[in-house]
Amino acid sequence: MALTGADIGVGTDQLGRRPGSMTGRHLGGLAWTLVRTDFKTRYHGTLSGFFWALLKPMVLFVALMSVFSYVFASTPNYSLNLIIGLFLWDFFAEGTKTGMTSLQAKGFLLTKARFPSWIVVLTSASNALITLAAFFLVIMTYLALAGRVPSLAAILIFFIYLAQYFLIVLGISLGTSVLILRYRDLNQVWDVVTQVGFFIAPIVYPIAILPERLHFYLYIWPPTPVIQFSREVLVSGTVPNMKANLYLACVTAAVLAAGVFIFRRYARRAAEYL
Amino acid sequence: MIQVDGVSKTFSFPDVRRETLREHVFGLFQPRHFRVLTVLDAVSFEVKAGETVGIMGRNGSGKSTLLKIIAGIYPPDQGVVRVRGPITPILELGVGWNPELDAIDNIYLLGSVMGLSLGEIRSGIDDILAFAELASFANLKLKHYSSGMAARLAYAVAFKAVREVLILDEIFAVGDAGFKLRCEERYRELSAGGHTILLVSHSPKDVATFCDRALLLEGGRILMEGPGKTVADRYLNLLTAHGDTSPEADS
Repeated sequence: MALTGADIGVGTDQLGRRPGSMTGRHLGGLAWTLVRTDFKTRYHGTLSGFFWALLKPMVLFVALMSVFSYVFASTPNYSLNLIIGLFLWDFFAEGTKTGMTSLQAKGFLLTKARFPSWIVVLTSASNALITLAAFFLVIMTYLALAGRVPSLAAILIFFIYLAQYFLIVLGISLGTSVLILRYRDLNQVWDVVTQVGFFIAPIVYPIAILPERLHFYLYIWPPTPVIQFSREVLVSGTVPNMKANLYLACVTAAVLAAGVFIFRRYARRAAEYL
Repeated sequence: MIQVDGVSKTFSFPDVRRETLREHVFGLFQPRHFRVLTVLDAVSFEVKAGETVGIMGRNGSGKSTLLKIIAGIYPPDQGVVRVRGPITPILELGVGWNPELDAIDNIYLLGSVMGLSLGEIRSGIDDILAFAELASFANLKLKHYSSGMAARLAYAVAFKAVREVLILDEIFAVGDAGFKLRCEERYRELSAGGHTILLVSHSPKDVATFCDRALLLEGGRILMEGPGKTVADRYLNLLTAHGDTSPEADS
């Protein structure tokens, strides 16, 4: 995935390393520095700053809850499903938003030295991941209060879904991070996509209210299967069938592969478009 | 050590620049005209290990693009660059920080991009701040720095990160006389220590003093190659011929 010396015809040094390539330890150091400084910039270095990241979806949850719990009063576990859907959605929206602008935001580093730029895209999701970890605790508490503590196996499967979800966000981020350098209004387009996507994914409404023949189209939108399957294991305690899991794996692989493909194609010249 | 073989680079600028999807969609049926600017045209040269080579040329002659290609930041359109050693580029260092972070965090960012490990940065941070004379501003956010302070900090980090091959763009153009002197001193150490150095400068004096050899770029081609002093003189002639008499003016 990284740019290699061979790409631009740069030879190798005496140690057989390509100039500009980094050892794992250096790459790790760079990744950690990026994560640390991103956190600091975003939350002003304090944990109380972190509070704001949690506040937004929490307030949205309370607002939606107070209206739609009457609309869907007959739907079992509506509030549990709502909180899971909202928090997972927030990760998607935040992760893709920061991922898309990650190269742009770190442009001042890209023009300074040659280093594997995918590390910038990868670490851009870290803030959203930290928030997700906090969401996880909130969800678990909420489930416990509702008397539905999920089994260890269910939590484990949920984590597998989250891992796939992360890869989907990473794939979208990789692809869009290089495209936005050429198409400066891509973020506006993506704003519209996520706004519509919020309603394509069955977050505020139960999917069952829509006719069966439409479900297929909803599931094409990657957050839908992740949200639905997560609800199934956490709330109902049942595991989606093999076919469903296979489908999600394929979606993940396709989105990631597309992202990597676009990134590899355009990242070489990224510095020229900054 | 550095082998540049037939490197060409063109940038094409459309007459009407389309930077957004909206413009692309609405402009689908309008013909597009591009102006192709050849920045580098089949440039070839070689730098031997331990040598210091200067590059001179007027604004827009392709110097900075050439350095960026050698550093691997831009890919060449044609030709090959071979560098047999780890490179430390010192380019455009005056600009580009995270303004919301303090000096220490910015040092960590720039240092790790330049290939320093966290341990090396941690143990070198006092040196870096001392070299830049910014120890008392270590916890000040970069947005409150003056441009001179920011540039000094960048050079201090880069000098700490120096590996085998050093690529310098306008190195002596920053800071006050004292800082310049320290840079020159550090630079002499590096040169004496066997580093291979490629140096862009507008100062005929610097090229004449520091470089074993120099190249003169004009319009993306190498106009001449020779001893630093000779190239510096030719460069001055070139400037006077074009009515531009301020060799130091460049950004």
